[in-house]
Amino acid sequence: MDLFIGNISNSAVHMILGKAIDEDNIRKHYDKEFSISLDIAKSYREKINPKNTPFHGKEIKDIKDRVIKKVRAELNLRISKGYQNINIGLIWPTVNKILKKTKVI
Amino acid sequence: MVELISRISKGTRMDQIYIPKKRIDLTVGSYVAIRPLETTAEEEIKLFFYNVKHLEPIKTRIIKEIFKNLNQLIKCDNIIITGSFLESGFRFNDMDIILVSEEKINIKPIESLLENRMGPKFHLILISNKALIKGLSTDPLYMLMLSKCVSKTRFVYRVKPKINYKLVDLHLLKSKLLIDNFDFLTGDEKYEMTRNLIAINQFINKKEITKDKVDLAINNFFGNKTVQKLRNNFLLAKDFLKKYKKVYNNAQNRVLKGIKGEPKQK
Repeated sequence: MDLFIGNISNSAVHMILGKAIDEDNIRKHYDKEFSISLDIAKSYREKINPKNTPFHGKEIKDIKDRVIKKVRAELNLRISKGYQNINIGLIWPTVNKILKKTKVI
Repeated sequence: MVELISRISKGTRMDQIYIPKKRIDLTVGSYVAIRPLETTAEEEIKLFFYNVKHLEPIKTRIIKEIFKNLNQLIKCDNIIITGSFLESGFRFNDMDIILVSEEKINIKPIESLLENRMGPKFHLILISNKALIKGLSTDPLYMLMLSKCVSKTRFVYRVKPKINYKLVDLHLLKSKLLIDNFDFLTGDEKYEMTRNLIAINQFINKKEITKDKVDLAINNFFGNKTVQKLRNNFLLAKDFLKKYKKVYNNAQNRVLKGIKGEPKQK
């Protein structure tokens, strides 16, 4: 579960950082990395039961909280070091989207 | 099945192929397919080795067979074999193949076809020449990947590195997973994440990146035989993680400092 959470957090960070970039060429890299990290997250998801049905309420909340905390920490670190255009407001919808894609919710 | 070899001869109105009257099968009136005979020169595939000091003869034969199959299936400028297949022994998960082409190719059916024909799992990456050269100058993972490879045709190997800190930040993030998940990762996963971190560290310090040099740097940073211990998952977390975190944090600070100093986007 920890590995799965780490991987979906990475996917979310990739996606949000991708949106902070104006240069098309680099953004393509972010999109590619996002899909690679999402695939890795999906492969870890396969190892957790129930595989094909969403989790229960408390588990969903727990996973979501842990992912959001990790993503926020990564993004805040970058903001504090001067990384520009990062939209913290994207954390919640991005995490939600990824949790749906990985059949957590 | 009967096969005959014959030469096309010039006719007045139509060209023709003569075949002996006394023959088994291929009766008059039956339909046949005509295709060019593969000459010995065509069958002979030359391989270009980059930093591959030794490769088992069976693997060379497999690579030639892959090139032959791919040549039949698609048209591309170059085929590059990389990854664990080129390591000594037979401890590889899949075959990493880079197809260099300017045309769009649907690689999924080709992957399945190769798997059906040859057995192992194939991982094909389609890339244009321009993207390959750019990757080689800006992406430490590309440098690492292509520092040891076998290709169908010769390609420009040495390009001037150009650090794009935002891309490096993206790649560095992958290595963070090891810090939080050391106990749950397999030996190969630990090795890959460590290799990624050290390759990035070499890159931002403007050092040459080859697989052997990165492995050597891992052993220098973390202690003798660390590569071997990592891959076999024999390494104890305590000492290793302490050093790993230090290298990771240093690299991250350098990268984030670099991002701050990068010219603003247009």
